[in-house]
Amino acid sequence: MIEAETGSGSVMVAESLGKWYGEVIGLNNFNLEIKPGITGVVGPNGSGKSTLFKLMLGLIKPNTGRISVFGQVPWANSQLHSEIGFCPDYESLPSDSTGREFLSLIGHLHAMEGTTLSKRIEEVASLVEMSRAMDRKTGGYSKGMKQRMKIAGALVHDPQLLILDEPLSGTDPIVRKELIDLTKRLNKEHNHDVIVSSHVLFEIERMTHDVALMYKGRTVATGDISEIRTLIDKHPHNIVIEGHGIAALAKALLDEDYTVSVAFNEDRSGITVQVSKPEDFFNGLPALIGEANCSVSSMYSQDDNLEAIFKYLVGR
Amino acid sequence: MNLKNAVNGIYALTSHSLKGLLLSRKAVITLIVLLFVVAVMGYAGAQDVDALPDGANLMDALILFFFMPVMAMIFGSSLIRDEIDNKSITHVATAPLDRVFAYIGYYLPLALAVSVSMIAITTAGFLSFFLQHGVNGAALEVYSEFTALVVIGSFVYSSLFLATSVLFKKPVFFGLFYAFIWEGFIGSIPGAIQKASIKHYLRSIGSEWIEHGDISEFDASGFGGSAAVLLGLTIFFLVFGAYLFREKEIC
Repeated sequence: MIEAETGSGSVMVAESLGKWYGEVIGLNNFNLEIKPGITGVVGPNGSGKSTLFKLMLGLIKPNTGRISVFGQVPWANSQLHSEIGFCPDYESLPSDSTGREFLSLIGHLHAMEGTTLSKRIEEVASLVEMSRAMDRKTGGYSKGMKQRMKIAGALVHDPQLLILDEPLSGTDPIVRKELIDLTKRLNKEHNHDVIVSSHVLFEIERMTHDVALMYKGRTVATGDISEIRTLIDKHPHNIVIEGHGIAALAKALLDEDYTVSVAFNEDRSGITVQVSKPEDFFNGLPALIGEANCSVSSMYSQDDNLEAIFKYLVGR
Repeated sequence: MNLKNAVNGIYALTSHSLKGLLLSRKAVITLIVLLFVVAVMGYAGAQDVDALPDGANLMDALILFFFMPVMAMIFGSSLIRDEIDNKSITHVATAPLDRVFAYIGYYLPLALAVSVSMIAITTAGFLSFFLQHGVNGAALEVYSEFTALVVIGSFVYSSLFLATSVLFKKPVFFGLFYAFIWEGFIGSIPGAIQKASIKHYLRSIGSEWIEHGDISEFDASGFGGSAAVLLGLTIFFLVFGAYLFREKEIC
């Protein structure tokens, strides 16, 4: 067993961690401590989430710094894998195997056998609601079924820690809700610690309040999601409003405290409003539309993408 | 490291990969090669030939000389490399199984699958030729000796091509070079340079066993020395490949 000294009681501790691939930086001076429970790791594509998970699993070596999982160094420490179940964000199921064969392989690789393994396979298949598709080739599964089967593969050996890398990616809303409920259940009813990543903040918000925001290989914020929300809400939001009689609405908006600026679009069919308190803006907007006697055909925020939020957090 | 867990892991990986190798598209390649060998040896057998020496020469040239390294290259260049490329290796790399044992779990099914394919090809070729001339005791002796040679060859070549599939991103290019240029050309030119091929040592062992055809008169390196070289090469390639696999980053 390879011991690391730091992070007693922590699931994962990373200190000054760096990983790069040639000239591409995966993680740079990355620091993070993850406690037991459900932790969301949020960041746009390329922020280093998958690199972090690969380092946690010992699939890759850090270039600088230290990382420990349950107090152990992951690289060249295969025994640590008994404690971790991993659901990758990419297709990894052997397409010519059935779900049962896949789970059986995983179980055998984790030294499970006989009726213990058979019973466990039935349990996890039931848990992820895949019992009826167990004898079908995984190559014929839908995206949602593949995600469930990958989660089942991560659960077979009943690990303490589950790492779910973008489990909701590419799934429809119904499957998303089911996977979110499953993730919460895995922690609440089965006591697994879960680290789940996404590039969509509100998805993580539905699973946990403990989040780490990553951007360009660094942690930009950690802690309770409500604190991060407050931080984000202080960020001036750009909202585009289109419709008829918008000039009157623009005038009304300029009288509000939260309005930073109003600019007409080139064709004057709409305006871009910059607001400092988006919540106040959205609460007060219906009344303003009524006062201005205008009609709004569309409205959208230019800042709904995580990239804008992260740029703000980094630049603050 | 719990030895029982390691053995369980090797067994699981071996049975999974063996099934994948024998029932995949590679089985179609085996079938095509088998039909080709049957056609060539069947046609040759239909001519007026001296059955034992000519039959032995055909099995030597067609099976041991040509298809042995080619089939090992086709199977070996893709097993681990395909799993690295399609990322299904993640489930092996995140199991509590030391990568050295996991590597053995890839090597054993590879060597077995190549052996099974080569035995099938050897058997089909033998029958297509010798059934036309009578399968007597001497013919069966030639068959069993070539079969033993292809099994030994399967284990040696598999260790080489498995290691290169971890070493290179496109191992098939090395495989093509090695199978056709090195083994096919360098291994057949006169002089000491031909000793730098696996085929030389396989034929050396064969020359001690087989009493018919050109292989019986092969300028051999001696049975004991050849066996030691082949065993040494197999162990070297296995250790080298396992080391590479253990140190490899799975991105």
